[in-house]
Amino acid sequence: MLHKRLLAVALAAVAVTACGANDPKPGTGQGQQAAAGGTLYILNQGQTQNFDPAKSQSLAITSLGLVHRRLTGWLNAEGKQTEVVPDLADTGKASNDGKTWTFTLKDGQKFHDGSPITSADVKWGVERTFAPAFSGGLGYHKQLLVGGAEYRGPFEGKELDSVKTPDAKTIVFELNRPYGDWPWIASTPAFAPVPKGKGAEPDYSEHPFASGPFQVAKYQKGVEARLSRNPNWDKASDTIRAGLPEQVVIQLGQEASVVSQRLAADSGDDKFAFGSSFVSPAQLAQLQNNASAKQRVVTSKSGALAFLALNTQKLTNPKVRQAFQYAVDKAQYQIASAGNAQLAGDTASTLITQGIVGREQFNLYEAPPNGDQEKAKKLLADAGFPNGLENLDFLVSTDNNYPEKAQALQAALLKAGIKTNIRTLDDDAYRAEITAADAKYDLTLASWQPDFPSANANIQPLFATSEIGGGGYNSARYSNPEVDELIEEAQATVDPAEAGKKWAALDRKILEDSPVVPLIYTRNSFLRGSKVGNFFIADFPAYPNYLQVGITP
Amino acid sequence: MPAAILRMLRRDRWALAGAVTVTVIGFVAVFATLLTTIAGHDPYTYDSAALDPATGQPAGVLGGISGDHWFGVEPLTGRDLFAIVVHGTRTSFFIGIASTVVSVVLGVLVGAAAGYLGGWTDRIVTWAVDVFLGFPYLVFMIAISMVAPPEIPKPLLLIVVIGFFGWPGIARIVRAQTLTLKQRNFVAAARTLGAGPWHVFRTELLPNLWAPIIVVATLSVPSRIGLEAALSFLGVGVPVPTPSWGRSISEAIQWVGTDPMLLIFPGLALFLTTWGFNVFGDGLRDALDPKSGVR
Repeated sequence: MLHKRLLAVALAAVAVTACGANDPKPGTGQGQQAAAGGTLYILNQGQTQNFDPAKSQSLAITSLGLVHRRLTGWLNAEGKQTEVVPDLADTGKASNDGKTWTFTLKDGQKFHDGSPITSADVKWGVERTFAPAFSGGLGYHKQLLVGGAEYRGPFEGKELDSVKTPDAKTIVFELNRPYGDWPWIASTPAFAPVPKGKGAEPDYSEHPFASGPFQVAKYQKGVEARLSRNPNWDKASDTIRAGLPEQVVIQLGQEASVVSQRLAADSGDDKFAFGSSFVSPAQLAQLQNNASAKQRVVTSKSGALAFLALNTQKLTNPKVRQAFQYAVDKAQYQIASAGNAQLAGDTASTLITQGIVGREQFNLYEAPPNGDQEKAKKLLADAGFPNGLENLDFLVSTDNNYPEKAQALQAALLKAGIKTNIRTLDDDAYRAEITAADAKYDLTLASWQPDFPSANANIQPLFATSEIGGGGYNSARYSNPEVDELIEEAQATVDPAEAGKKWAALDRKILEDSPVVPLIYTRNSFLRGSKVGNFFIADFPAYPNYLQVGITP
Repeated sequence: MPAAILRMLRRDRWALAGAVTVTVIGFVAVFATLLTTIAGHDPYTYDSAALDPATGQPAGVLGGISGDHWFGVEPLTGRDLFAIVVHGTRTSFFIGIASTVVSVVLGVLVGAAAGYLGGWTDRIVTWAVDVFLGFPYLVFMIAISMVAPPEIPKPLLLIVVIGFFGWPGIARIVRAQTLTLKQRNFVAAARTLGAGPWHVFRTELLPNLWAPIIVVATLSVPSRIGLEAALSFLGVGVPVPTPSWGRSISEAIQWVGTDPMLLIFPGLALFLTTWGFNVFGDGLRDALDPKSGVR
């Protein structure tokens, strides 16, 4: 949850949408129908591309999904709710009130070397994520599996007894409490198979055992990862991967602005490429003058929630925190993050993001788009601060134009008599401070994309007491025993519709305490080359589906 | 000495232009608030009305230049660019001058001590000067700015760090000058009469060191202003939202394709300042240093 979260988190706010101001309909530009064959290029900002499922925070539909299958997968398309569907196995059967989950593997599944994939390999893959040497991946399962808290991985000779494999095709998970979203958890990277006994070497990421349409043929840090066809991929049993290209080349260490320029120019191999990072506001503005490139921008309809977190351990008075709800200028924030409201995404008033089951639209703090600073002043005066607040420490990451976006909020807060000092930190240092046990900051800007399309993933990671410090992302340091109890109750609800109602009630309840100020539901824009087809962003998540992308004839 | 400078300014038109530029910029730095009040904007207020609602770019031509916004506005914020450049002058000028003062004080003390005392002191100072001149100070400054606790005000930190790395150049010149002065009769006379080093430094050496010090200091101001701009450009300079030319230039780079004026105004201000100090400094050297002939 941490990394990709943060990635999503950090990136989402830059998010900008495409299509431009003249074209209000997001999500166009996906290109023509792709055919099999060809070489697809993915231009990646990072120096490395991780293919180790244990260390991965990757969504089920992005790069890791090209190489690894998981127990379950996501089926998503524009205009449709994203569903959890069978991948290597079925979507699981709950028993014992949702505390025990049984999955049955499909027949005839093989690794790229031809050896069969058994339930023992899936179990080994899950166990491997508990090894301290292979930490850093999405860890929703770690607190849920019985004995997970003490388990330290299979390399010390012990098994995790709560994962059972009665036969080669069946795998059973025993949870310490009922958990309705477990089929979604089974789509996280930890549930990709690793051959039993393998994967002890730290560079497993560079030569993993592949179960998806591609295998890693060549890996050069900072240069490229070259994926070739996996001859043993069973296309017939795979409903979520088109697996069209003959070869996929992920170019590493590509500066985001250079990627935009290359893709806009659309020459040579860049015709067959797309960028994995967002197109920044400045780049989008330049694309407005380039008709060809403008057509090739794909924008999500919605995305991560961008919010201003109020450190509830420092700003203890809820009245004071409510003043922030009126003081912020969401319209200015939209302009600062993408140039206009259309490109930035809608203003937000709820914690659950658009397109999630059970979401209810409400606004506890009605205010004009530019905020109501007079009302904020009044609330502050009522709370005993007639002269406003002074010297609040406003911490932001230097990544993704956060300092610029923070200045937009700073200017609005100042109008309401709230004086803040922006403190910028390099993203790693920022992350360390946000997730540490003690925090100096009063305010911070963050954004959050759920790891799976359930309100659970919107709310629990940001507002449960257990997520304060210790690597958790409860940046408001919000702790309310009543809320914690309701979160567990909603998580235990197996029926999605019923669970949705509980989450919506929680959404309202948390916002009454005002630990965060929802700002916008950020949109993400991506740019593709002219020969890339099937390049779409579904309603969830706000990223292109890599598994369907191909080259047009 | 002032007479010599006046004579030089009358003779050397370039130096005169430099002197005028420096004076104007100094004036702008001191009266920044007054100037922006006259112009009707401050560098912090957002104004989305000045932006094109479709793109978030400045409304109108040339980055939104108008009677209201003399230099146009920033994209995405609508903040007045004239106010930003004018207040950025204050940041640059203040940090440039203050760090020069730090360098001069350190450099003169260390250089004079080395030249006058000689022996081990001289050897250590010469060695330290060599080390510092070859030191990758930009990397060091970035590192210091990153690790310094946030309680230390950034401008102060910049002044101290930039100033500290400026002393070796000044120390070397002062040491050389002191070495020649030491041989002169009036210094020898003072020593024979029993004057201590501090007394000799103050009454005999310093009055004869002023000319080269002023020349070196003037010529080093632009490099310090440039250094502050470079650090702000790299994101370790003065914190947001305090305006700084370096940061404005850094932000303008990504907009250069659509809004070049955003780069031109702060860039021009930085260029004029460094140019002004340089030609004025050159003129001063011609006037005050008898060894380098008149152009």
